[in-house]
Amino acid sequence: MASRSRVFFSQRLTQACRTLRSACFFICLLLCASFPAGSAAAADGPSDAYLGELQRLAREKGLARARTWEVLLHYKPAGSGIKSLVDDPRFFNAPDGSRNPEAELFATLAAFFQEGVKEDEEHPRCRFIARYTWLHEQLSIDEQRLPKASCAKFEKALAAVNPRSVVLVFPNTLINLPSSMFGHTLLRINTQYESDLLSHAVNYAAITGDSLGLFYVFKGIFGFYHGRFSNLPYYEKVQEYNDLEHRDIWEYHLNLTPDEAYRVFLHIWEMKEFYANYYFFDQNCSFNLLFLIEAGRPSLRLTDEFYGKIHFWVIPVDTVRAAKKFGIIERVTYRPSRATKILRIASDMDSGLKDMSKAIVRGERKPASVLTEDLTVEQKREVLDLAAELTQSRFSGRKLEQELYQKQFLDVLAARSILGTPPADPYPIATPTPPDQGHLSSRVRTGGGYRTGSWFTELEWRPAYHDITDLDEGYVRGAQINFMDMSFRYYFDEDKLRLHRWHVIDIVSFSPWNGIFKPISWKVNAGVEELLLADGKEHPVPRLNAGGGLTAGVGDTGRAYLLAEADLNASTRLDKDYALGFGGTAGLMTNLTKDWKMNLWAQGLFYSAGDEHRSLAAGLQQNLRFTTNTSLSLDVKREQTFNIYKTDIVMRGNWYY
Amino acid sequence: MKKLAVVAAVVVVTLVLVGSAFAAGQAQTNTGCGLGTMLFKGSADNSVLLQTFQATTNGIYGNQTFGITTGTSDCQQPKNFANNERLNEFMVANMDNLARDIAQGRGETLDAFAELLQVPAEKRTEFYGQLQSGFARIFTSPGVQMASVMDNISTVSTK
Repeated sequence: MASRSRVFFSQRLTQACRTLRSACFFICLLLCASFPAGSAAAADGPSDAYLGELQRLAREKGLARARTWEVLLHYKPAGSGIKSLVDDPRFFNAPDGSRNPEAELFATLAAFFQEGVKEDEEHPRCRFIARYTWLHEQLSIDEQRLPKASCAKFEKALAAVNPRSVVLVFPNTLINLPSSMFGHTLLRINTQYESDLLSHAVNYAAITGDSLGLFYVFKGIFGFYHGRFSNLPYYEKVQEYNDLEHRDIWEYHLNLTPDEAYRVFLHIWEMKEFYANYYFFDQNCSFNLLFLIEAGRPSLRLTDEFYGKIHFWVIPVDTVRAAKKFGIIERVTYRPSRATKILRIASDMDSGLKDMSKAIVRGERKPASVLTEDLTVEQKREVLDLAAELTQSRFSGRKLEQELYQKQFLDVLAARSILGTPPADPYPIATPTPPDQGHLSSRVRTGGGYRTGSWFTELEWRPAYHDITDLDEGYVRGAQINFMDMSFRYYFDEDKLRLHRWHVIDIVSFSPWNGIFKPISWKVNAGVEELLLADGKEHPVPRLNAGGGLTAGVGDTGRAYLLAEADLNASTRLDKDYALGFGGTAGLMTNLTKDWKMNLWAQGLFYSAGDEHRSLAAGLQQNLRFTTNTSLSLDVKREQTFNIYKTDIVMRGNWYY
Repeated sequence: MKKLAVVAAVVVVTLVLVGSAFAAGQAQTNTGCGLGTMLFKGSADNSVLLQTFQATTNGIYGNQTFGITTGTSDCQQPKNFANNERLNEFMVANMDNLARDIAQGRGETLDAFAELLQVPAEKRTEFYGQLQSGFARIFTSPGVQMASVMDNISTVSTK
């Protein structure tokens, strides 16, 4: 009873102190100090003697300091000691278990001796099955000398999942889906089935409840939500990413053995009821998955690649790179999204055929009428296959009511079923460059140049992730996400270092119209930027810029774009302290060779509120790649602001790391 | 005052945008027994605003359980197959893609279905052919439910 109320109390305490972690730690220390660590079963008896024996042996073997114990409890260095990253107090058997590995080990051993369990509750040996399995091996625990425990739930789940191997799954970004921008990772546990669709997906996510509010984002960033693992059939995840969100999926097959896959599953089972506070920058979905892989093979120090590093964020694709660094990636497979499939089918068809499909999808043409057209059987199949995919896509995009969808979809398929089966996949899709092979996520660039009247040198740091002048292999072409991009300039004539630019966020989406999909292009950019003001000098100005428009594809790599935009500047140096303007940007970005990319652009902004003025600019950006992670760029810009002309020429060396 | 408002607006918008940039995935609940159920559920709340807010959490709604099976008790059960929860579940969740694969005579969903039915590899071509030519007798009406589809499949195929 005492231990139960203690757990309850400390749970409440944890909730109350979540924002005051250090204070909480202190109180917990005080609280825990009053209880002996590793309190064993109270009653005297033979089992007590055996427990003592096991605890002694565990101490002799130094198991509390073993790597496996560290992995299973998610212990990480914290200050002069260590601390588990799991925040749920029920995850620990000892009151100070989150900071004291030995006390936790002893209390865990004691818990294995628990007599009986409540209904709907699992015995600690089942709940902590990964710990039990490992300690059983290390200490050669004699099960005959433990109280009986049956792990029926676990056995049933194990039989259903039947782990054989493990795949790290990376649904790629989709630029027009803001929430997908850095991608995501989940783990797939392969079963005895040949079909990948029948395997299991293990996902780590924050439990948010239904409410959306002003503090939703804050809560997500600062750890107010609980992150948990969940288990779903893989086909549900494939449908979610491939079919619904139109995201390509990359599957990195890991070389874990069946026994290691089994240990991954044990740890998943052990984690299923417990939460860790979800921090979206670092202790996020991708980071927490790494613990599962470590549980399979504790010698892999995947989480240490991120934890405690200057980099306080974890970008999903970087966890794939960490896995690659440790040599556990066996091969990569590509699962194209529905959008990719649709464009692939359409790529073989002339516009007349595509129009037929579109007419069917709009309900203007009966699917069966295609059968009597003067077309080859291959062409008829293409028309109906495209119509089927587009019908599903329209429905999932909520452009079609369910009843209409059901009828149209079945009519298309009924017509298609008459046309037989091609001998091989008629629409094979070549695998593009996998995301892990693109340039690395962070960039440092240094260089120098001339700005009318003065020479300067420049240093820029961009923690993440990709911009439209970076070479696109492994990334989504036309998509830019710059995050916390900052640069400093030193002007020689002033002998002064100045903050040139600090873009908290700078997102651009140029996804082209292609006759099938008609996406909106947009951009948004917030931060501080040096702007040319009426006094003829540059001053740092808080700036918010956003725009929307259209993009057309030009050749394989080109994108011509046109965006209307609004621009808001705030500065005491501006008349009325602000300027609000409207205007637009037009440009063309394209690869000149495989390693040479350029972006030609022009922008006009007309400030009609606040400090009324006009700003016109045009420029050419070029980037020449030497290796995946080094390149040289040359930017030229000419601008006229407040009727002052300035020219910029900058050359920079870029290092991605 | 105006300046303060502008700064506040910039800060709020920036935070929302920062938030929107990180990974997210929305889990769907899976109920219903006919065509379009899965996708419909999935897209029910697919607004940009929601996605933007969800982004910071990789959020999912409610308490997603760690169930190995999600159950199809809401659906009528097929008569002609031995009670196979996994098969029924697969059918409910994949009916749209399965219908497409059956009509086209090939596909990953169809392969998985055949595997669940334990159709041996050498008999699959024949099996797929039977389903394709029997398409109209399997998917008899737009509102057709999982149980009927399963029963019809057992009628048109020798499996």
